[in-house]
Amino acid sequence: MKGFSELFHDLDEMTKTGDRIARMVAYFTEASEEDAGWASWFLAGNRIKGAVRTGELRQWAAQRVSLPLWLLEDSYERVGDLAETLSLLVRGNENAKVMNLSTVVEEGLISLVAADPSEKQLILLGMWNELRPIDLLPFHKLLTGGFRIGVSRGNLCKALAEVGGVDQAVIAQRISGEWDPRSRKFSQIVGKDGPDDAWCRPFPFCLASPLQEKPENLGRVENWWAEWKWDGIRCQFLNEDKGGMLWTRGDESVGESFPELLDVAPHLPIGLALDGEILAWGPDGMRSFSRLQKRLGRKQPSPSILKKEPVRYMAYDLLRMNGKDLRLVPFCKRRQKLEDLLNGLPAGFPLQLSLRVDAESWTELASSREESRDRGVEGLMLKQMNSPYSSGRVKGDWYKWKVDPYMADMVVVGAQLGHGKRANIYSDYTLAVLDTSGELVTVAKAYSGLSDEELREVDRYVRKNITGKYGPVRMVRPGIVFEVAFEGVQSSGRHKSGVALRFPRIQRWRKDKEPKEVDTLENLIGYARMGEPQRGIGPKTDDVGNLLLF
Amino acid sequence: MEEPLITRSEGLYCPAGDFYIDPRGQVERALVTHAHSDHARSGHAHYLVSQTCLPLLKLRLGQNIQVEGLSYGEVRKIGGARVSFHPAGHILGSAQIRVEVGGRVWVVSGDYKPQPDQSCEAFELVKCDVFVSECTFGLPVYQWKEEMDIHMEINKWWSENAEAGRPSLLFAYSLGKAQRVLRGLDPSIGPIFAHGAVHPFLPVYETCGVTFPRVQKPKDGSGDWAGAMIVAPPAVEDAGWTRRFKDAKRGFASGWMAVRGARRRRNLDRGFVLSDHADWAGLLDVIKGTGAESIKLTHGDGDPLARYLKEHGINASILEGVHVRTEEG
Repeated sequence: MKGFSELFHDLDEMTKTGDRIARMVAYFTEASEEDAGWASWFLAGNRIKGAVRTGELRQWAAQRVSLPLWLLEDSYERVGDLAETLSLLVRGNENAKVMNLSTVVEEGLISLVAADPSEKQLILLGMWNELRPIDLLPFHKLLTGGFRIGVSRGNLCKALAEVGGVDQAVIAQRISGEWDPRSRKFSQIVGKDGPDDAWCRPFPFCLASPLQEKPENLGRVENWWAEWKWDGIRCQFLNEDKGGMLWTRGDESVGESFPELLDVAPHLPIGLALDGEILAWGPDGMRSFSRLQKRLGRKQPSPSILKKEPVRYMAYDLLRMNGKDLRLVPFCKRRQKLEDLLNGLPAGFPLQLSLRVDAESWTELASSREESRDRGVEGLMLKQMNSPYSSGRVKGDWYKWKVDPYMADMVVVGAQLGHGKRANIYSDYTLAVLDTSGELVTVAKAYSGLSDEELREVDRYVRKNITGKYGPVRMVRPGIVFEVAFEGVQSSGRHKSGVALRFPRIQRWRKDKEPKEVDTLENLIGYARMGEPQRGIGPKTDDVGNLLLF
Repeated sequence: MEEPLITRSEGLYCPAGDFYIDPRGQVERALVTHAHSDHARSGHAHYLVSQTCLPLLKLRLGQNIQVEGLSYGEVRKIGGARVSFHPAGHILGSAQIRVEVGGRVWVVSGDYKPQPDQSCEAFELVKCDVFVSECTFGLPVYQWKEEMDIHMEINKWWSENAEAGRPSLLFAYSLGKAQRVLRGLDPSIGPIFAHGAVHPFLPVYETCGVTFPRVQKPKDGSGDWAGAMIVAPPAVEDAGWTRRFKDAKRGFASGWMAVRGARRRRNLDRGFVLSDHADWAGLLDVIKGTGAESIKLTHGDGDPLARYLKEHGINASILEGVHVRTEEG
């Protein structure tokens, strides 16, 4: 794939951001309009969905190179990256002529989506014959959708901004949302005058940094706006001539799934962008995130589910009003405009203001934060009163002051080889606690939170203490105890214990602890009880008084 | 019938000749396939190696060891065993050891590679009944390119770095890989340096007809490293020794570099897939070529290769009891 494969390999090897940006600029300047368009589309994190099932892909690749499927799987386990494994096995054609990226995408990848399996296999065999060795890894990355090579959206925007001589924020908006290079040409992306529909896409979201110091260090409490950190789906609510739109942080348009929210649009001014959160919300008030999940991914929800699982949009910022970009206006003024706007709406709409958590002092605020779990929120948000709405994470403007996580000591009983940078290192762990009979039962899998050095040390331990094999997981003699942080406990059939942890991550290695000193399942279930009562699914007892948790 | 070789805690042992091959611990008589430290260990009373391996072994284990060299192909009777050394193509002086007792033949491969390598003797295929094969790279994802192509890649990388005014720091194992890399460097690009661990072996190679461009020691350099190529063992990768080569691009020449994860974990700028072991196809070719009725695999995760061979009607198993860590790739 002309120029693009070379770009991919260079970006993959580069370790410095500046080098990467310069390399992208060089590519975009040289490439054809079609190729540059697709390259920026993929680098922006878009993917072609449904081109091929990886199961079929593995099978056809194994056939192509006359190897048994198990040997491809063993190889994958060693390499830790499916696209790379396929590329190492298939090898490609040294004498192939160079194809354009746009040809490969439009005639290869996109035609795969609609093809039936036998056609898919033929198309793939054709591609494998016609691609150069250097093309295979980027091709397989595009095919399997795992196209990540250390280029952030921000850096892509920097490169494109440099190519077009356009402001980076403009580029950021032009590459947000749903588009593809056939509907929006590369010249429109980097061109001085953008397309008219630019406003139909979300602004880059302003992100908060975790608060890692004492709140007192932030200065006077009245300079900060505090509100609850909602546990829902963050979305920008746009209203244009065409109607309302809801955009997630993942640049997905989810309006179709929430028609009751779009119904509010005709009552709002045109040229509007709100920032806020979709929450599950019944007559009983806010409900848990798991209730909201029932609404996700349903393009046209039935009337019965709309009634059973209602939602609300909790608005907390105003980015655009009557076509005017307000992002540089200080937060307190944006907030005032937002209040004026929403207070003017008739009652009964599923759209409401996220209210301020008032406090005279940081101490008072801290004690409000203690209510977070009971309220079903994740903690507090702190927004500097005069802050602009920045693109991305700007330290000092917005903080998330999350409630402290739960902690428990757990022992490693299983390990799996990692992926990417951790390929061929046992870096994914299955963790267990003790049940009432003193048996170890698994409750979580976790893979983050260790230093490279610790990872290597655990890897050495695992390799010496494998007691069995269960698919890609190696059973490990209990010996390593971690302190694990997590956000909650849910009922789950995935683990032997019957529970699963929310967002488990390894906090530190407890070298001072023995496996028999780890926490008990009862303790974890106790945490679950504490977190749930406000959500109406708290603990109940059966007829004889046994605790029924889930 | 008793087999020519059996497994003991020290390693493979020949009862008929009372000797070991590449043993650990301290034994009376050790036959050693090549001079890498995971095969050639100090502490044995007597060593028997290939003639070209002899000076390398002395450099590694000391000039005072009791060692005898045997020409390739020359048969030596030791007790009831007939023993001969055959080129393994791994590094200079590396050998497969053929052991025949009562008409039954075992060949112990040591490390080997059938692919061409201008810095050592060419691999020789030896027929046998039982073949003890290494399988460091026993998965089909490992397929080596032509040696010439890799030398060209290295020179291209070096000249790009030189143009940018930066030194090139290339890690390669001090015995074997470093010499192979040095031989292929194009001295018109810039000055060439090698770490002190690499130098002592160069005269031995030269005696065997392997020629090198001019290779200097860093202490004899001008102190201006821009455009220089420095070849060093991976052991000094994180050591203070490399700090003097400011802004150096870092590369590593090894078969392990075939997989990106291995390169990224070490935070290298570049990996060159240059191995002194057989790749997947090389392993299959040699294993089939020996005509052996039984294949015993060692050195590496042999499970996939053993299973594959069995599915193709070849009796293969993991050689139990002989666990050796590979020093190099």
